[in-house]
Amino acid sequence: MAVDDRVARRYAAAIFETALHHNVVKSVEDDLDAIAACLTEGEQFRTVILSPEISREGKISLCEKLFADSTTALTMQALRLILHKGREHELVAIRDAFTVLRRQQQGVLFATVSCSEDLTDKQRTEITARLRLATGKQVEVQFETDPNLIGGVKATFDNTVLDGSLKGGLAALRDRLYHDLLKQA
Amino acid sequence: METNHPPAASPSGKKPSVIPLLVVGVVLIVIGSLCKGQAWTTPAMFSGLDLDLAMVITNVGLFVVFAPVLRTYFVDPLMEIMDARNKELESAFTDAENLRGEMTQLRSDYEKRLSDTEASAREQIQSQIKEAQTLRQQLMADAAAKADELRTRATTEIEQERTRVLTDLRLEVVDLTLKATEKLLGEVVDSEKNRKLIQNFIDKVEVAN
Repeated sequence: MAVDDRVARRYAAAIFETALHHNVVKSVEDDLDAIAACLTEGEQFRTVILSPEISREGKISLCEKLFADSTTALTMQALRLILHKGREHELVAIRDAFTVLRRQQQGVLFATVSCSEDLTDKQRTEITARLRLATGKQVEVQFETDPNLIGGVKATFDNTVLDGSLKGGLAALRDRLYHDLLKQA
Repeated sequence: METNHPPAASPSGKKPSVIPLLVVGVVLIVIGSLCKGQAWTTPAMFSGLDLDLAMVITNVGLFVVFAPVLRTYFVDPLMEIMDARNKELESAFTDAENLRGEMTQLRSDYEKRLSDTEASAREQIQSQIKEAQTLRQQLMADAAAKADELRTRATTEIEQERTRVLTDLRLEVVDLTLKATEKLLGEVVDSEKNRKLIQNFIDKVEVAN
């Protein structure tokens, strides 16, 4: 089923404003992360929640049993509303939109750092610090492994790419050679 | 052609009277008849001839009597016919002369027109030849210009195509070289070199403002 980002952004904005008002943004985000993790990683839970054969009341009851003791009241209230409105397919997108709103509100920059091999904790810390220093903002980094990079690191945030990988260097070299050759032609 | 013959009438247009001649003729006939048989009618000087003067006088009288008749009923109509014939001939000759003059004039006109026509035809032929030569030169110039244009265009296209193929070839060489380099780097770069690359990134990374 196709996910409507606009709907997800509206739900996320409402939840975020309420959480901000009650100063429980971090708790709600953790709750949403946990629920999203259950959805993406728990196959049985996902099957039940997304099944059209299960009634809304049944889904709400199941979620209350699973999350009522471990999540905030606001999160549970939002989850009930989402399930009642039949928007369970947008749960992950709502979590993502909530995180974007939280970052915007806190002025946090989200960056993705790719490397051909797993980075050590020291390297991760140094890269995060270096990005914070370079951008002048708080930085949240998501580290990924991409063997196609051959070697080096590639950092992506907003509309910026800092490519220190060999793959990127070869691509830049190719672009430069292309440019020179086409200019000669 | 002209004919001369005695006029059929006097210049005044009146025919001479025949009565005196008839009278003279009758008198001569009478005299001849009266004198017939007399001795003087056969003089001795004509003794060797069978001549009778009375008979001669009578015959003269008869001739004088019959001469006007002959003239009136034979000679004059004959002369009139001959005059009419002469007039017809003169008219025919005049018409023929006129016709010959007209024919001469027509021939002269025809020759003049023929000459003019020939001159005009020659002039037109010369004009057409000149025009054809001009057109030929124009066509040859156009053909030469078009051939030059086609040759220039073909040369340009060949040059462009050569440049394009050469560029494609160079780009292909660049791609192959970079792929080979990428493969070689994949085999050469180990964890130590990767660590140096990461450290180099950490040391030098900057964000352009």
